[in-house]
Amino acid sequence: MTDSVAMSIKVLGVNHRTAPLDVRERFAHGAHEVPAALARVIAAGASGGVLLSTCNRTEFYLVSDDEPALETVWSLLGERLEAAPSGGARTYGYIVRDRDAVRHLYRVSSGLDSMILGESQIQGQVREAWEASRAQAGPVLHRLFQTALHVGSRVRTETGLGMGTASAASAGVAVAGKIFGDLAGRHALILGAGDMAELAATCLSDQGVQVTLVANRTQERARAIAERLGGRAVSLEEAWVHFATTDIALCSTAAPHAVVTWERVGPVIAQRRGRPLCILDLAVPRDVDPAVAQIENVFLYDVDDLQTVAAQATARRRDEVPAAERIVEEETDLFWAWYGGLGVVPTIKELRARLDQLRAVELERALRQLGTLSPEDRARVEQFSQSLMNKFLHQPTLALKAAAEEGRGYGLLDALRRLFGMEPHE
Amino acid sequence: MIVTLHLIALTLYALATGLVLAPFMGYRGTTSRALAIAFPCAGAAAHVVALSQLTLVGLGPALSMLAFCLVLLQLASERLLRGSAVSFFTSPLATGLVGLAVLSGLSPGTEVPAGRNAWLILHVALSVLGLALMALAFIAAALYLLQFRELKARRFGQVFQLFPPLERLDHLNRIALVAGFPALTLGLLLAIGYGARFSGGMGLHVAKAQLVWGLFTWVVLGWAVWVRVVRHWGGRRAALASIAGFSAVLLVYVALKLVQPGAERFL
Repeated sequence: MTDSVAMSIKVLGVNHRTAPLDVRERFAHGAHEVPAALARVIAAGASGGVLLSTCNRTEFYLVSDDEPALETVWSLLGERLEAAPSGGARTYGYIVRDRDAVRHLYRVSSGLDSMILGESQIQGQVREAWEASRAQAGPVLHRLFQTALHVGSRVRTETGLGMGTASAASAGVAVAGKIFGDLAGRHALILGAGDMAELAATCLSDQGVQVTLVANRTQERARAIAERLGGRAVSLEEAWVHFATTDIALCSTAAPHAVVTWERVGPVIAQRRGRPLCILDLAVPRDVDPAVAQIENVFLYDVDDLQTVAAQATARRRDEVPAAERIVEEETDLFWAWYGGLGVVPTIKELRARLDQLRAVELERALRQLGTLSPEDRARVEQFSQSLMNKFLHQPTLALKAAAEEGRGYGLLDALRRLFGMEPHE
Repeated sequence: MIVTLHLIALTLYALATGLVLAPFMGYRGTTSRALAIAFPCAGAAAHVVALSQLTLVGLGPALSMLAFCLVLLQLASERLLRGSAVSFFTSPLATGLVGLAVLSGLSPGTEVPAGRNAWLILHVALSVLGLALMALAFIAAALYLLQFRELKARRFGQVFQLFPPLERLDHLNRIALVAGFPALTLGLLLAIGYGARFSGGMGLHVAKAQLVWGLFTWVVLGWAVWVRVVRHWGGRRAALASIAGFSAVLLVYVALKLVQPGAERFL
């Protein structure tokens, strides 16, 4: 434990602000790659590590003072680049230390540092990262990640940061919800099998929507998505007839022109007898002919519409940032006070023991030089040495305890250990 | 006492109205929703005490009873159907009706002979409940059309944010119509029975205006229920039918009231 305390908390990594998507993709680590990556960093001197890897960030959380551990992280990431820039992986990255590192993780888990402000997915990703790295995290990072999840929950329950829908896919779900109310048990038809279609279909599926059909020009990809979501793959030509029965049609093909036209679906939609049909057109260029929206109970939304809904939610979330930041700051203080105080008592004990040992040696030497002394005089000299040592230690002990309570203990501890030669710590 | 209790109810309903309309003025408080339920609940408690001391004869008591039924239906809609936006309409409407009732005069009224009291109370209560349910169907239909228009036009403003989903409003409209029709039918039958038992003959002693309006309302509500249940109308068409029906009932009432003014009778 004290070994960890003697070291500082660091975050090294890249995120959506510092690295482009193709670089982030290369740095991304699957859960199976995490133990090996952390083992390399720990072998280089870190006492604990957690690797958080999402589509928007790859971050190593370390308890380490050693430069080799940091260098190992950069080289580990650099190895994944095809053509590394002159500065290597660090060109895209950042290092955040100590208290700022704690605050950073709390902001990440709260969604304050996310590309989509306040998104909730990150909370689960932080939990997964912690669980994947649990064996190598060590006690300090273990507590840090545990509290990070608590901070994320606090921010989401005590502020409106997670309210509304802040991505086009989730905005589509919200809009469909405004038509149908409860989405559970509704049927969805997916046109297209790209990443966007899959993401939006997953969002719908998460709300209990039954993805019954996935239509795509190439059947393999459609089949993969359909199987994952419990639906059936069909060709585009087979899909039109299902506009008579489905509740939600999600369109995201790569077609260069509208594929859902009045001619194709108009007569089919007429068979719905007024039942509403929600069409979410996430494709650019658009998949759905705007004329289709003229059919009475058809509600058609394109990417611009959904981004408008998402932008409104983001604007509302922005108003909640100060409240969320206050919670993050409050919790950072608490963690840092705990972390700062963690090594104070053992260090003070060690310092006292060391000085007492010195005192005893020097007292013995002084008594030998003084020759014969009465037992009373010997006791007086011993008491003097004891009292002098206590007086010397009194102020530093108080200052150290006060600094620990204020969360500044780590810096003073570090200085103290260096000044009194208590390094390297065993 | 009756007037004081009505004024207390009026104040609480007015406060609830202020709270439910606050989001339209940009206020987003976390406590407002709880208070928007607590205020009408407290108002309804004062209101029911006032109604228990009132003879349900005349315009004032009838309006007061109608307001009370609306508040009860609003609370039921909030609780059972999560139709919180219903209060955008019911809350100011109930406030206005209580205000009108106070202005029309609220006195304990003439004592009805004991045997007839139960008939009268049941008749008024069921008829007013039927009317309140019809008003609720109208409100749900109006909310439906507003939300429908916003969704079709891809506008994502306050209506989109605050109003319930289309299908929930359609469901509320259907429930209100289907529940309102038997209530109104029973109310009318009780009126006819009351007339037959206590006034002799076939109960035709009731005022002509009352009879005309009662039957007209029954036919309109019956038609609205018929098109929904038998013809399976839904969505926008059903909402338009509800609004047309309720508007016709209101217009005929106003016309008859102009012919036969006075606050001593509902009609």
